[in-house]
Amino acid sequence: MDVLNPVPAAAGSTIVTLAPRPRDLRGKRIGILDNSKPNADTLMARIAELLVERAGAAGVHTWRKPGASKPAADHDAVAAGADVFLTGSAD
Amino acid sequence: MLLGTEPFRSLATTAAAAAGMPHVAMVLVDHPLGGVDPKRIRDRGEGALDAVLKALTTDPAMPSPAIVAAAERVSVPDDLDAFQEHAMARGWSDGLPVLPPTAARVARLVAGARLPGDTVVVASLAPAMRPLTVELVAINAALAGAAPEHMPVVLAALRACADPAFNLNAIQTTTHPCTPLLIVNGPIARTLGISGGANALGNGYRANAVIGRAVRLSLQNVGGAIAGETDRATLGHSGKFTYCLAENEAESPWEPLSVERGFGANDSCVTVLGAAAPHNVNDHGSMSAASLLKALAGTLSAPASNNIYYGGEALVIVGPEHARTIADSGWSKNDLKRALWEHGGVRMGSFSDENIARYKHIIPGRFDATDPMATVTPTVAWEDVMIMVAGGPGKHSVVIPTFGATRAATAQVQL
Repeated sequence: MDVLNPVPAAAGSTIVTLAPRPRDLRGKRIGILDNSKPNADTLMARIAELLVERAGAAGVHTWRKPGASKPAADHDAVAAGADVFLTGSAD
Repeated sequence: MLLGTEPFRSLATTAAAAAGMPHVAMVLVDHPLGGVDPKRIRDRGEGALDAVLKALTTDPAMPSPAIVAAAERVSVPDDLDAFQEHAMARGWSDGLPVLPPTAARVARLVAGARLPGDTVVVASLAPAMRPLTVELVAINAALAGAAPEHMPVVLAALRACADPAFNLNAIQTTTHPCTPLLIVNGPIARTLGISGGANALGNGYRANAVIGRAVRLSLQNVGGAIAGETDRATLGHSGKFTYCLAENEAESPWEPLSVERGFGANDSCVTVLGAAAPHNVNDHGSMSAASLLKALAGTLSAPASNNIYYGGEALVIVGPEHARTIADSGWSKNDLKRALWEHGGVRMGSFSDENIARYKHIIPGRFDATDPMATVTPTVAWEDVMIMVAGGPGKHSVVIPTFGATRAATAQVQL
């Protein structure tokens, strides 16, 4: 018999163009958008610290979401505050 | 770029695709991160450094765009047992047997909705952010065993789930055991036989079973909340199969929940709540509201409830006999809410130091007391205690905590 598929064929979202990545991180500002999950801050702070030490990044600025299940307050202001970003997804 | 852990890969992938960024770079480290000594976390950061550096300095390849198609016809085995195997293998089921969503059955369910099949019910259903049409709801209702007359309630429930305050994306994907609890008010409950009486949260009622299940299968198959993949519930609870009841308006001494939420007594409504499993309150002895309050407030006050540190509403479903005892003491619904909030609460000494530090960040000012005997109220505000009446004869009520970062939402059933 024929049935109708309960799962739609494809996602509805259109694909966005991502910002071009820099060739290297010398002099670039590292942004951290902490998703507020336990130890996400520790993990990303350590990586960012090493990016400054070993890849010549200019510095680190951290923004924190008000809770893991809540969106960041102002994406545009956050995006303007650094050249590349680390963020956590889920746990 | 995204950082995460391996068990959460599916969820991160889905979230990125839903945001139109399936090609964003992702680096995964060992799980878990929570509850681990920060020194070990720093080592994991060092281990991930090369991958992070590469991700930040390499342009991701642009993927080909997805194509949205109308409901696809699929050929499946005629034999019902073979069909079950097929449906399970394709991930269409919740684990229980499903009925074949043939075009004829789906057409009858669409007719029950009294809306064209291509009507968009929810523009983008989380977490996959796919559009939910009446036809897709009907296909999933057909799997669930729902009848055409159930469709308006299923649609109202799904519209309520899409209210931004409900935070469906988080409800669908969290490790917390929550799922939409459907509370039906108004004449439709009687018309369809949606039980608010004996065993209303249990088995035995077709309408409760299939309406809740049609919502669950829509959330799974269209929303894309796949158990163990994008639905990250650590344990979940059995209400995720179906979690639907009516308020027992006939035996309630107070106004119905929907009326309290601004609708008319003759409006049929569905209120959704991002709800954990019910916890029973057995009190066969108390003879007044003040006496009964002790068991109810005590059960409402759990140190590890999300309502403690995340906020949101907590629901108390008062059994009709308990409700009568409370009302006979002259208490209104608001009197009961205030009393539960004032007499309930968790002592500061019940929380670990690590959790207090975390909770202080989430709700500033709420966990500042230094006295271990000081209490934190069971919800942030007394109005966040939700009350409804349901159940049959007996001296039981239940407390249902919620996910916390969610608000109940109500939609009127369109008939």
